[in-house]
Amino acid sequence: MAEITYEGKTFEVDEDGFLLKFEEWCPEWVDYVKESEGISEISEDHQKILDFLQDYYRKNGIAPMVRILSKNTGFKLKQVYELFPSGPGKGACKMAGLPKPTGCV
Amino acid sequence: MAFISSGYNPAKPMEGRITDIGPREFTEFLPPVIKANKGKWAYHEILEPGVLVHVGESGDKVFTVRVGAARLMSVTHIREICEIADKHCDGYLRFTTRNNVEFMTDSEDKVAALKADLAARKFDGGSSKFPVGGTGAGVSNIVHTQGWVHCHTPATDASGPVKAVMDTVFSDFQNHRLPAPVRISLACCLNMCGAVHCSDIGIVGIHRKPPMIDHEWTDQLCEIPLAVASCPTAAVRPSKVELEGKKINTIAIKNERCMYCGNCYTMCPALPISDGEGDGVVIMVGGKVSNRISQPKFSKVVVAYIPNETPRWPTLTEKIKHIIDIYADHAMKYERLGDWIERIGWEKFFELTGLEFTQHLIDDFRDHAYYTWRQTTQFKF
Repeated sequence: MAEITYEGKTFEVDEDGFLLKFEEWCPEWVDYVKESEGISEISEDHQKILDFLQDYYRKNGIAPMVRILSKNTGFKLKQVYELFPSGPGKGACKMAGLPKPTGCV
Repeated sequence: MAFISSGYNPAKPMEGRITDIGPREFTEFLPPVIKANKGKWAYHEILEPGVLVHVGESGDKVFTVRVGAARLMSVTHIREICEIADKHCDGYLRFTTRNNVEFMTDSEDKVAALKADLAARKFDGGSSKFPVGGTGAGVSNIVHTQGWVHCHTPATDASGPVKAVMDTVFSDFQNHRLPAPVRISLACCLNMCGAVHCSDIGIVGIHRKPPMIDHEWTDQLCEIPLAVASCPTAAVRPSKVELEGKKINTIAIKNERCMYCGNCYTMCPALPISDGEGDGVVIMVGGKVSNRISQPKFSKVVVAYIPNETPRWPTLTEKIKHIIDIYADHAMKYERLGDWIERIGWEKFFELTGLEFTQHLIDDFRDHAYYTWRQTTQFKF
């Protein structure tokens, strides 16, 4: 597995650029990933989604369903895509340090 | 190879981006005779295996030549299909829902030239590139999946067994000796992508051992509640183990409850299940989707396990050929495989085909299993 060094921190990632370990997440990770996800600046709205994903994952051990994400953050799916062009899974979950989405995707 | 840009700018990924345009409208690609007679067809005939004629109310005719295809094909092969279409069909062609290719022309004399051209084309190894057939009461193409070519959950291959089976039943692709069409499908795992659950003959890859558990990575790579909820028999539960002096969250599997479906591996990469000797295929028979005479049916398991015998799957192909031959000898006209079995009874089907009836074939999944047992004294010795 590949290791990435960014601003003095190292991250273990898989071939799709997802963090292998949630504990390794830190704010620098978001800074590192945002470019490859087509995001120039992390706004308050971005942060709100990332925070919710992380809280939900810590509490429940899974990523929230898209409807739960929308309902709790107040962002419609269209707005989520405007914030994270690759979408809630590949974009937001990757930045939040959650495990890679699985199943028939 | 040097990088050649398509014009996409990775620094501004959303700039000039086109989305949500959908597929091209099908009418853009209709042959003129089809466009002119769309919705005004009077009747059709099968002139010979693989060749159809549709006659419009105006008297216009369109002749269709259906040819088999391997589904998985190179751009070179597609270019050759295009070349044939350019030469004989003014550049028009279509693919069927069973991944055959159809060439259409508007006059009968063009059909002879087209057929002669198709018959002459072979691969270096000797296989026909464009075998004509797949119509009427025969065996058309096999709907199949990815197998070892591209998927990560298969228990068998797709392209390999399909080639082996089609080679065995090839004569039925090119003639109409059967009582009704026989649809064969293959899925390389129990996800059953495609049509195995509703085909006359279905081939499905199965495992026979529970998954391994990569404790070190389970909690890192997986959302454990998803793996727990993915199990149809509730064999998966969360647990803790001690690894290198550290307590970690992981998964435990009750092996006696596990039926090796592999759903948990789909959800969690730390539960690999594939196994060279354990994996194999089952054969299911008797499904159909049409409403003709009888209602649509699911296919039922009749052979619980056949090992993977690369590269030609001889046991599998021999059994399928045998089932088709017995069906062809005994069924009445228009009777699909499932209709025939329901008429003669399952015990008679096993007797005629000589297939072994094992305890694996008796349904034991939840309440509904009860309805598949026999609650009557009507039975043939």
